[in-house]
Amino acid sequence: MDGSILVHDLVKTYKGDVKAVRGVSFEVAEGEFFAFLGPNGAGKSTTVQILTTLVKPTSGTIQIGGVNVNEQPERVRWNIGVALQETGIDPVLTGRELIEMQARLFGFTKKKAKERASELLTLVDLNDAAERPCGKYSGGMRRRLDLALTLVHKPKILFLDEPTTGLDPSNRKAIWKEIKRLNKEEGTTIFLTTQYLEEADQLADRISIINEGRIVASGSVEELKRTLGFDAIQLVFHEPEEAERASVVLNDVGENIERSREEVTIYTENGTQLLSELVRMLDEQQLSPKTLNVKPPSLDDVFINVTNKQKERV
Amino acid sequence: MDEQKKGSFLVDTMVFTKRSIITIIRNPLIFIPNLIISLFFLFVYEGGLSGISQLPAFEGANYLAFILPVSIVSAAIGGAGGAGQALVKDLENGYFSRLLLTPSSRLAIVLGPIIAGMLQLLIQTILILVIAYFLGLEVAAGFGGVVVVLLLTLGWGLAFAGYSVGVALRTKNAQSAQAGTFVFFPLIFLSTTFVPYELIEAGWLKIAATINPTTYLFEAMRSVFIDGWEPWPLVRGFLVIALLCAITITFSAVSASKAVSSD
Repeated sequence: MDGSILVHDLVKTYKGDVKAVRGVSFEVAEGEFFAFLGPNGAGKSTTVQILTTLVKPTSGTIQIGGVNVNEQPERVRWNIGVALQETGIDPVLTGRELIEMQARLFGFTKKKAKERASELLTLVDLNDAAERPCGKYSGGMRRRLDLALTLVHKPKILFLDEPTTGLDPSNRKAIWKEIKRLNKEEGTTIFLTTQYLEEADQLADRISIINEGRIVASGSVEELKRTLGFDAIQLVFHEPEEAERASVVLNDVGENIERSREEVTIYTENGTQLLSELVRMLDEQQLSPKTLNVKPPSLDDVFINVTNKQKERV
Repeated sequence: MDEQKKGSFLVDTMVFTKRSIITIIRNPLIFIPNLIISLFFLFVYEGGLSGISQLPAFEGANYLAFILPVSIVSAAIGGAGGAGQALVKDLENGYFSRLLLTPSSRLAIVLGPIIAGMLQLLIQTILILVIAYFLGLEVAAGFGGVVVVLLLTLGWGLAFAGYSVGVALRTKNAQSAQAGTFVFFPLIFLSTTFVPYELIEAGWLKIAATINPTTYLFEAMRSVFIDGWEPWPLVRGFLVIALLCAITITFSAVSASKAVSSD
């Protein structure tokens, strides 16, 4: 059993022909930090639930650490740690009791379970709250306890489904720091889903962007930005109406154009060459932007671009 | 790590049972109302109705011994229903998924709350019997009779726990599971609850009492309290309970396997 993940042509169709995942394939090497990036309802959580034995796939092959999930779900469970989006915690038990119980279920003796609980409570900084019922924990504390529960058996592969959604910046940073450490120092393979581009950019070695049940782009953060081969020209106007008019005028210039209030962003293959023509066209309409700049694409741009292209195809 | 990789059904069941017991002890509201209602039945019916045991159909039986099974059985239903309620809570707050992600035995996850419910029920029944003893209860079949009553109650509780767990795992929400416990009323009251079969007036109630499995449970318990060792009521009582357990436990096992492997 190693720390790899192999998914081939995964499909999940729910009753009533709802297609949550429409043929997803990817590989994650041992020790790699892989992120699944996508908007709400893209199929991220369904994929995690299938990979972690909670939900059965309609079709496709999945091997976690070389073990087929459908054939030997129990063997898979020994080796993975999973933090789901809705953190389920028994509100009556204390943090310490929950971790000890989790350890017992993973085959620890009573004594070992106690030791492990103390270690983990220190790790996630919950020593002060250890003897309080979890029902009284704050959102951030719950998430930290959940992470501790996930780590009890020192899993080789960690699945984290939107681990920081709804957390304040300091709690988010604390979680980031800990998962980075697990990946770098302990060589834990990490499969993370997120809707935050920043999170994927900061943490992951490799990213797949998923939208409407399909992977629309894959690669390292740098690769993704490069394969896009686009520059983004960003224009900021004084008034939203100006931006509106500008987006109409410039409609034919770039491959893709996005407007939000005073801002217009044009994605084009060669931003610098296009600039003079662009300025001339704006001049003709007596539009003068407040600021104008050309920049290589950010992960946000990649994301917007691939999801837009997909819309056009449909 | 490898020596840890042996899942143990017994350890898992113990861990889940211990957890359920802790939950029950920390939430006295889970069992106190149920116990009070059962004692209320005992006191009110004994206080208000004991005069009717002068009727010849009672054949000189003490009304306390006659009404006591009603109190015991109603307490048992409450205790056993708690197993389903506990699972619904786990399903609703998402802790159930966390348990499914451990390599623990799936059966143990469901069995833990059931065993804890049985223990709760056993303690409640003993408490009710002790109170009845101080009210003047005499058991015709002696100490062995008390053991028989406890066994009957446990069997009945197990059957009802199977039902409540099945409903919980199928509906996965507290309101529906709560609604499911309303079978309590027909089970307890459409029977020889207050008077012997011969004294039931309405024809439909006679039919209902004949169909109702609780009737055979009441009769079996009453036989050891009032008459001593009589084989037929006991055989019938245990047979009915065995049949009920077979049905409801199959129902809960099927529901459980559906709930733990979602398609």
